[in-house]
Amino acid sequence: MTDRKNTIGCRNRAGMEPEGSHPRLCYLLLFVALQCLPGVLFAQSVGLPAPRLLTTMPMGGRAGTQVEVTISGENLDNVDQLAFSDPKITAAPKLNAAGQPEPNKYVVTIAADCPVGLYEARVMTRLGISSSRAFTVGNLAEVSQTRPNTTLATALELPLNSICNAAMTQRAVDHYVFEARQGQRLIVDCATRGIDSKLDAVVIIADAAGRDLLVERRGGVLDFKVPADGKYVIKVHELTFKGGPAYYYRLGLWELPADAPIVRQPSTQPVNSFSWPPHGLPAQAAIAEVEPNNDRTKAQKISLPCDIAGNFFPAADVDVFEFEAKKGEVWWVEVGSERFGLPTDPAILVQQVTRMGDVEKLTDVAEFSDIPSPVKVSSNGYAYDGPPYNAGTSDILGKLEIKEDGVYRLQLSDLFGGTRNDPRNIYRLVIRKAAPDFALVAWAMHMELRNGDRNAVSKPLALRGGATMALEVVAIRRDGFDGDIELAMDGLPEGVTARGLKIPAGQSRGLMLVTAHQNAPRAIGSAHFTGRGTINGEAVIRPCRLASMAFPIPDAWNEVPSPRLFADIPVSVSGIDFSPITVSPTSSDMLTVVAGQKLTIPLTHVRRSEFSGATMNLRTMGAVFDRAPAFDIQLTADTSQAVLDTAALKAPPGDYLIAFYGGAVAKYRHHPEEIPVAEEARRKVEQELMAIEAEVTKLTEAAKAATAENKPEADKLVEAATAKQKSAAAALVAATARVKQVTDAANPRDIADIVVSEPIAIRVTPAEQK
Amino acid sequence: MFLLCRDLWRNQHPFFGAISLALGILVTAGANAADVLQPQVNKPVSFVNEVIPVLTKSGCNVGVCHAKAGNGQNGFQLSLLGFEPAEDFDHLVREARTRRLFIGAPERSLLLLKASGQVAHGGGVRMSTTSEDFALLTAWIRQGAQYDGAIAPKLSSFEVQPDHGSIQRQQTQQLKAVARYSDGTERDVTGMALYESNDRAMAEVSERGLVKILDLSGNVAVMVRYQGQVAVYSASVPLGAPVVNVPAAKNFVDEQVFSNLIKLGIPPSPVCDDATFLRRVTLDIGGRLPTEAESAAFLANQDPNKRDAAIDELLRSPDYADYFANKWTALLKNRRDDSSDIVSNFAFHAWVRDSLLANKPYDQFVRELLAATGTVIGNPPVAWYKRVKEPKQQLEDVAQLFLGVRMQCAQCHHHPFERWSQDDYYSLAAFFSQVGRKPSSTRGEDLIFHKRGIAVANNMKTGAALKPAALGDAIPDITADEDPRLKLADWMASRNNPFFAKSLVNRYWKHFFQRGLIEPEDDIRDTNPPTNPALLAALEQQFITSGFDLKDLVRVITRSHAYQLSEVPNEYNLVDRQNYSRYYPRRLQAEVLLDAIDQLAGTQTDFTNLPPGTRAVGLPDNSYNQSSPFLRVFGRPEGESVCECERVQSSSLAQSLHLINAPDIKAKLASPTGRAERLAKDPRPIEDRIRELYRSAFSREPRPDELKTAQAYLTEAAISADGKPVDPQKALRENFQDLIWALINTKEFLFNH
Repeated sequence: MTDRKNTIGCRNRAGMEPEGSHPRLCYLLLFVALQCLPGVLFAQSVGLPAPRLLTTMPMGGRAGTQVEVTISGENLDNVDQLAFSDPKITAAPKLNAAGQPEPNKYVVTIAADCPVGLYEARVMTRLGISSSRAFTVGNLAEVSQTRPNTTLATALELPLNSICNAAMTQRAVDHYVFEARQGQRLIVDCATRGIDSKLDAVVIIADAAGRDLLVERRGGVLDFKVPADGKYVIKVHELTFKGGPAYYYRLGLWELPADAPIVRQPSTQPVNSFSWPPHGLPAQAAIAEVEPNNDRTKAQKISLPCDIAGNFFPAADVDVFEFEAKKGEVWWVEVGSERFGLPTDPAILVQQVTRMGDVEKLTDVAEFSDIPSPVKVSSNGYAYDGPPYNAGTSDILGKLEIKEDGVYRLQLSDLFGGTRNDPRNIYRLVIRKAAPDFALVAWAMHMELRNGDRNAVSKPLALRGGATMALEVVAIRRDGFDGDIELAMDGLPEGVTARGLKIPAGQSRGLMLVTAHQNAPRAIGSAHFTGRGTINGEAVIRPCRLASMAFPIPDAWNEVPSPRLFADIPVSVSGIDFSPITVSPTSSDMLTVVAGQKLTIPLTHVRRSEFSGATMNLRTMGAVFDRAPAFDIQLTADTSQAVLDTAALKAPPGDYLIAFYGGAVAKYRHHPEEIPVAEEARRKVEQELMAIEAEVTKLTEAAKAATAENKPEADKLVEAATAKQKSAAAALVAATARVKQVTDAANPRDIADIVVSEPIAIRVTPAEQK
Repeated sequence: MFLLCRDLWRNQHPFFGAISLALGILVTAGANAADVLQPQVNKPVSFVNEVIPVLTKSGCNVGVCHAKAGNGQNGFQLSLLGFEPAEDFDHLVREARTRRLFIGAPERSLLLLKASGQVAHGGGVRMSTTSEDFALLTAWIRQGAQYDGAIAPKLSSFEVQPDHGSIQRQQTQQLKAVARYSDGTERDVTGMALYESNDRAMAEVSERGLVKILDLSGNVAVMVRYQGQVAVYSASVPLGAPVVNVPAAKNFVDEQVFSNLIKLGIPPSPVCDDATFLRRVTLDIGGRLPTEAESAAFLANQDPNKRDAAIDELLRSPDYADYFANKWTALLKNRRDDSSDIVSNFAFHAWVRDSLLANKPYDQFVRELLAATGTVIGNPPVAWYKRVKEPKQQLEDVAQLFLGVRMQCAQCHHHPFERWSQDDYYSLAAFFSQVGRKPSSTRGEDLIFHKRGIAVANNMKTGAALKPAALGDAIPDITADEDPRLKLADWMASRNNPFFAKSLVNRYWKHFFQRGLIEPEDDIRDTNPPTNPALLAALEQQFITSGFDLKDLVRVITRSHAYQLSEVPNEYNLVDRQNYSRYYPRRLQAEVLLDAIDQLAGTQTDFTNLPPGTRAVGLPDNSYNQSSPFLRVFGRPEGESVCECERVQSSSLAQSLHLINAPDIKAKLASPTGRAERLAKDPRPIEDRIRELYRSAFSREPRPDELKTAQAYLTEAAISADGKPVDPQKALRENFQDLIWALINTKEFLFNH
């Protein structure tokens, strides 16, 4: 491995040096950087194998039907069930003619009353529950791409009112053909990113000769009024002509009455939509904006509080609202728009209106724009410098304090809307009295293990025995809520516990540690993840949504992450595979320390693997104690201890929950129990072959000895047996290859992963007053 | 900075060399100066109105001499062309321990000793000791070397006499330059003014203002500059030949072109034949050769309106969008500097192409680009702001590309050939001062938004905070909430905008006629008049009236008989290069030529990441130049500048050698799936196969002599090097390869004609 971060930092254009740079200096820096990197970080992969369901084909089905689904993914050993986030969708393995399950094939049954929408599909594997893949339930007929259709001549027929499930061919354009009548209004909608695909689709409606008529490249929908009876062509390709199984799509073509609104295919939610809507907001706004309200003379009169629906239309639209307010009033202003998945950037300016005779004077009172991410977001560079999840949004949440009685104007515009004419860019503007609250989102915690690899951020909650997995939890606080947020998770499978490291008052980040005990049985549960705060003296519980990546990101330099929210939070335990190491407090009792003194924490190591490197550097997580200096533990020892200096940390008296975490490189053996299985299978095949060979010998002898009359029959028997022999020989070759494959996979392999200790409860008691 | 500016001019301005040369070879004002300039050396000499003009005329204060950016020349700095006399006075009189002037003995002043070559001077001898200029400078020094900037009359106007005229070839015209001052006085400054012809093939002009017309007919202009002011002498040079058989006028284009030809006495060539027309218009609109089927159908069609119909069909086709997107994306710098640029480059190219396909009005297209906000994927014109990051770059590119105005010089000093000042420059920059950026999830890409605030830009020299103003036009106050770029777009699209529509129609005219009505096409200024002003004005008006309809503009141009004239010259118009009396042939562009060769050879060029069969004119960015020697040799631009001149259209030895012998050409000819292979196996008579080749290459049938020659060659028995007969099938295949190779190397194939 070379450290790409350092090499890339020294160039700006291919083959060119930036002004002022010095190539020799770059090489020197590179050399120094390489020398400084721990040796353990070379030549290893990142993240222990995690089960990932990457594709289903098809990616959805029609309610009330059965669909045959083929799956693919990573580390899907011993798949035993395909599960969905709603019981109205069920799956059973597809059986072949002999009644045996066909590998990776399922028959999915969608109940007739299953609502149209998106669901999570996952498989249970040897390692536990897999990552999710979006599965769509629709109400149109479903077809699949059955053959290559990359030319006009090989275009697939696409019936009206149907959805085609397909995967994009690399460096190609998929072609579909349909018949239409003049005057028909047809909708062409291609679901891609919204169903976890990597495809940035370009969708083109062309005439029968393939000449482009209408093009959509921004993920939008094509609204096509058919100009004449005849055949038309739909062309689909990736923006940069990428392709492969991960670049799948559902191409919808349906007829719509002229004045009917377009309802697009369902789509997953962006991560930052976790903070919308505010709790208790009605589905429909109380009032709608009324154009023209574009300038100050045509401001729309409103009274506070208010809840308004509007849109940023036409281009450069500015919506101005006017209201009266009294000195001392405090209002909270919130706008939702980008969180609906729209490409908008709302901005608000509030001005006080005063008049001197006929002259109007406007005084700026407040400006509102983005809701910043509460934690630093990754800069998307090669080195990990923050989560690649943005909990912030370009929507608005701000406090408006009225200093004087008077008339005020609020103008709302879209900073991205200067030249765009799209009435679908809607917003919801809410102005309310303070309603303190919070919203939570969580994702798998990551730390820098090797540049570029963000494996952990797309990991499912598939726990190995003895493992603790950390989820990073982020809060958006509303309307001045500033208190502690306690985190809790229930609905966990047997042997799994979850402890939340609370989000302290005034802060926005906490952690949830989910631990599978060493002897936890193989199981799966649907977890319920919540945060609890005290608002106006009452306990308020809010859900915590889980976010993850649609695909693993082995190279953050070359891939823009594609995160989304998930509908549910399944947690599983493998029961078969175990964490390479468990670090836990020797005593599970709460540890007590007097403020100002040092606390020594004995730690126990349960090691189930060899490691590359002798030590692991541990840092501390948890309020106040996360400032503690890092320390090393011996990876060859069974015990160690951590020392925390409450004086240096200035830890005030109170109860704390902490944990230690670091990166270690395990010599991981993947699926070793498969070796004897494969060997046994090989042995059986070998025996079968030997038996057949004996049979062939016997029959050959018999044929030699056969009379002329019986000779043809005997030769036939020899021929049949010889064919069986060949088949068995081929089976032996395959079985031998399988043994080699599983043996190779089970060979120790260096894998860097995050190690999190079991949580440790600490009580800091007040020092004696002298 | 002026060095940069100079380089830019040298690259983009064909007359720069002439300017440098003209100024560089000024050796002496000579005795003739007395004929037109009579300095009153016994009267007080004005530093501002007399000394500075002498320095300018002598070439002391050009960018390559003492006005060089930084520290001038050898520590002696003057302002460019004397635009800053107060600074020049300081440098002359007070700097260098006042050693440059010697008031006690003026003739011994270092300034004069160097200028007259009495002391070694890197710039050579600029004036003789007996010249009027020398006497004037001496007198000024003797009089105490006073600065009179505060009291000297200001130059209020400047004109050249005559300012236009009709003049015969090989005739001369003495120009008179007249300066008028704020005190009402008037001076003949003919000897002090600077002269420059806009077409040195048509007219030469001496440093004393004597214009000499050469052999070419047409319209020519001479720019006359004096102390920051400019005037133009426009001459019409008739050929005077009898003009008969002028094609009928199909539209106003014909009316204007043909009336100009009649005025000049240049008879036009006749309208070209159908085959030539179809090939020409398909290449010019669709960037490709006509298919054999198209040619056959067109030639067989008896409809008198079939040419108009063919134009409409081409404008409806995606080929039009592909070809013009190729033109615009290069000008808009859709350049791949990093592999991660691929998404934004593809998206941007697609946006341009889709806009053209949908015939988005040009003003809307420019508006969406100028005022782009959001993300590249959500709004691809945002990619322009990824390429062009600084407000200065933005204004310069916008001015040159969409207004045809080159503002680069005005960043550091008053534009030497134009009325643009530094205030004009920074007022234009102010439109881009509120472009906000936020990091996006894509490396190297920003989200672009309007940053609330009053738009201003500071004049680098004066420090003055300037509000947005558009090339001399005041813009109503822009509030903090309004995106000034939208106001700039409003101004551009206003019906009275003097640049926007003119620039575009001139650019498109050049696309179809090889020469712009104004040349270079992006250098529109008072001192560079169009060759046919009435035509340019009519095109401009039509474009505005059509709602900035690009397809309509193309339709108007290509429907005209002027566009459809034969390229074959008559006895009078061979030398005409500016009046469109015939079609001027030109080599096919790199991409078009590569596609044409593929089409003829029956092959495809493989481009990374793109589907097989993608045409070279459909390439989204410059990155493919690296892997294609063909595209490089034939001058495909790299998207480095907004100048069309970056595309190399000239011919070179390397191009010839490439066509003759390059491996990629050989591979196409010998392709096992190519046309040669197919034709060799084709059971049709050999004549039919030859006809197919000619129809494909030239969109016409072979002439009898061509058919005979080709037939003889193809059926010739082949003998190998060792004297043995070659397998007839192999020989035929190789002979077809040879024939295709020969056709490719004809001018008829390589040129649009």
